[in-house]
Amino acid sequence: MPETTETELMVLAAKAGLADLPPEYQAELLSAYRHLERMLARIRSDRPQGDEPAHVFVASTFQREG
Amino acid sequence: MAFFTIAEAAQRIAARQLSPVELLEICLARIDAVDDRLNSFVTLTRERAMAEARIAEAEIMAGRWRGPLHGIPYNLKDIFETKGIRTTGHSRSLSEYIPAEDCDAQTRLSEAGGVLVGKAATWEFAHGGPSWDVLFPPCRNPWDLDKDPAGSSSGSAAAVAAGLVLGTMGSDTGGSIRGPACANGIAGLKPTYGRVSRRGVLPNCFSHDHSGPLAWTVEDVAILMNLVAGFDPRDPACVELPVPDYTAGLSDGVAGLVIGVPYRWIEEEAPASAVTRSALDAALDVFKAMGASIRPVEMPALRAYEDAKKVIAMAELHTIHGPVLRARPDLLGASLRYRIIAGGLITAQDYVQAMRMRTELARAMQVAFKDIDLMLLPAGEPAKTLQPQPPESLFTKVGYTTAFNVGGNPALALCMGYSPEGMPLGLQIAGRLWEEDKVLRAGHAYEQATPWRQRRPALVS
Repeated sequence: MPETTETELMVLAAKAGLADLPPEYQAELLSAYRHLERMLARIRSDRPQGDEPAHVFVASTFQREG
Repeated sequence: MAFFTIAEAAQRIAARQLSPVELLEICLARIDAVDDRLNSFVTLTRERAMAEARIAEAEIMAGRWRGPLHGIPYNLKDIFETKGIRTTGHSRSLSEYIPAEDCDAQTRLSEAGGVLVGKAATWEFAHGGPSWDVLFPPCRNPWDLDKDPAGSSSGSAAAVAAGLVLGTMGSDTGGSIRGPACANGIAGLKPTYGRVSRRGVLPNCFSHDHSGPLAWTVEDVAILMNLVAGFDPRDPACVELPVPDYTAGLSDGVAGLVIGVPYRWIEEEAPASAVTRSALDAALDVFKAMGASIRPVEMPALRAYEDAKKVIAMAELHTIHGPVLRARPDLLGASLRYRIIAGGLITAQDYVQAMRMRTELARAMQVAFKDIDLMLLPAGEPAKTLQPQPPESLFTKVGYTTAFNVGGNPALALCMGYSPEGMPLGLQIAGRLWEEDKVLRAGHAYEQATPWRQRRPALVS
């Protein structure tokens, strides 16, 4: 998977509300994202459509609220 | 000054041979002697503790002994909310937070008559550390003050090892109970996800957070589990299941149990050091001599467990700390900040994909446990020098503990000897979901068969 460009990264950062971080923190963001990106590449595999995530809504949990 | 386990102290207190006030005075004297160097406490509740000890003493003298925690000094990791007592998460961003309510664990331990001595050092919000740029200095290791006590339940484990308290509660999202238990040579249990309430515990990563006890012996961990395990309707992850008496079958031994060893993990993917491997092999021999059988077990890659957990955790952590990060990033230590800052860039698609991967990995874990009763492996490596870690180590590190957070399975760390430098070595015993009793039974059998509980850190000996 090609590495996310700095421009693309800044778009993602803006969407996350991080566009106004001081420059030193922007550098941290870029550095950390490079490591995250490798993990993301490893989890992005094709899965069956019905493959459910680990945390699904369990209605009985909310019976306790009643 | 004498060292007591909870079991020993409880017996003497119940027999009125030891007063809770005397026991607290021993702990406070030791705290006064060493904790300015150890840094295991961030808040000491001396007067409150003495008042609680006096009440316990009066109740016991009046014939109203509540049980094995009555009059026993304990502390809580400083992410456990305590009514009227500052709870900081070791963070400058929460330096003045005084909760209005106790967390579930404190409610239960207090009702059992325990004596809360204070709040223990942690890594910032149980995640980033060790750090020198947060609210308090980092805790040190009582076996060697230059060494790392590991995290994030650092102060909890160090205080128990040094005999400053007899028991404690920590949290474990990727190994934060078991790592410090290993580094400090004590016992610590990450229970099954949903067995012990996390209500009132500052979150690290909702989907992987576990609360659990640490103490000097496995028997003491079982005593604490009897108090803190159980359904809490206010923790959405808590499961309503019967809770066994964890002390009842402790001495039943391990004869006939089948133990799996994930050799590929410890030989190829994350090779154990020679000293740790040698101690593990000796521990396996002890289990064989006690009648257990040993076999290899095949597991998915450790790296897969780490990837799924870390992507999920970064997204959840960023959601929790994003407001502070955006408004006052300087209030967070560099270690935590680096570990969460990119979490805001994880898409919903990637988060769900990581959650799907968790399903697959958790299932694989339960399949492995169909043919074995327990899994044995190291809990970690002996403590190294306490120093700042490269920030990227979170992403590159592969350890032996996180897989059991992803699977949700109970996992116990306990002492399995000492390195040539005198630092504790840690054994990890994992079990099937909800079978903490079997895990504790195996740990107790190993402790009884080995001499490791006869030594305390030179700092307090």
